[in-house]
Amino acid sequence: MSMPLLGKKKSLHFERVYAAPVDAVWRAWTRPDDLRQWWGPEKTVVAECEVDLRVGGRLYIVTVASEAMGKYAGTRWPMEGTYTSIDERRQLTYDARQWTEGSAATETIQHSTEVTFIEQGPTTSLTLHIDVSSIGPGLKTKMAAFGMKWGYKSQLDSLERYLAG
Amino acid sequence: MFSALGEPSRLHIVELLRPRAYAVGEIAESTGIRQPQVSKHLKVLAGSGLVDVEQRARQRIYRLRAEPFGEIAQWVGSFERLWATRLDSLDHFLTSNGREQRPS
Repeated sequence: MSMPLLGKKKSLHFERVYAAPVDAVWRAWTRPDDLRQWWGPEKTVVAECEVDLRVGGRLYIVTVASEAMGKYAGTRWPMEGTYTSIDERRQLTYDARQWTEGSAATETIQHSTEVTFIEQGPTTSLTLHIDVSSIGPGLKTKMAAFGMKWGYKSQLDSLERYLAG
Repeated sequence: MFSALGEPSRLHIVELLRPRAYAVGEIAESTGIRQPQVSKHLKVLAGSGLVDVEQRARQRIYRLRAEPFGEIAQWVGSFERLWATRLDSLDHFLTSNGREQRPS
């Protein structure tokens, strides 16, 4: 059970151009062996990576804090998603949730991601759009090891307006 | 602080305090919440560090503290930074042709 995040969707949008052909960029996003090598933030290791590349298929990536993270070492951050569309070498979308293993089930973040690949000769333009749709009503979720301070609560619609205003 | 905001009346009070400081009596009047209840809510909000109180003559004036709200806004920025870093990492992976392992 999740409540809307701060009352409305939060979106992130990125555009990058990579000096690699679209095939390589597509593979980087869709092959576990490739994904493993860039997905995890610094000082983390991708311990599990499953890609079932078909609509309805599962994307499952577990990032684990390495020893370099000190007291957070061993903390596991799974992300489990379902592909909602796949247009080979052009676009893929998935809905996913991510959480900290061992934390309350209510401390989950849900988001929809759209990755668009545009071939530009030898380079590839990549557009990433993420809608964070909801978070669990757990009092706070901490992803402190990522240098993050996550804290939120349901029913913060008004607060969202506060921040926006 | 988040549980402090979980109660609709308290959220209502926080909303009210956005533009300026209010005395307890004014808060009761504006929100239609009985003054003893208002005082109780304010105590919770103050206990969570969300509001500051100032004694002015016989009145207790409450105002929002800015910092805790900044913290809430911050997580969205953190998620964004995570992704920005990840996309840089992808760049590194692609330009090293996938042969080089990222240091972990």
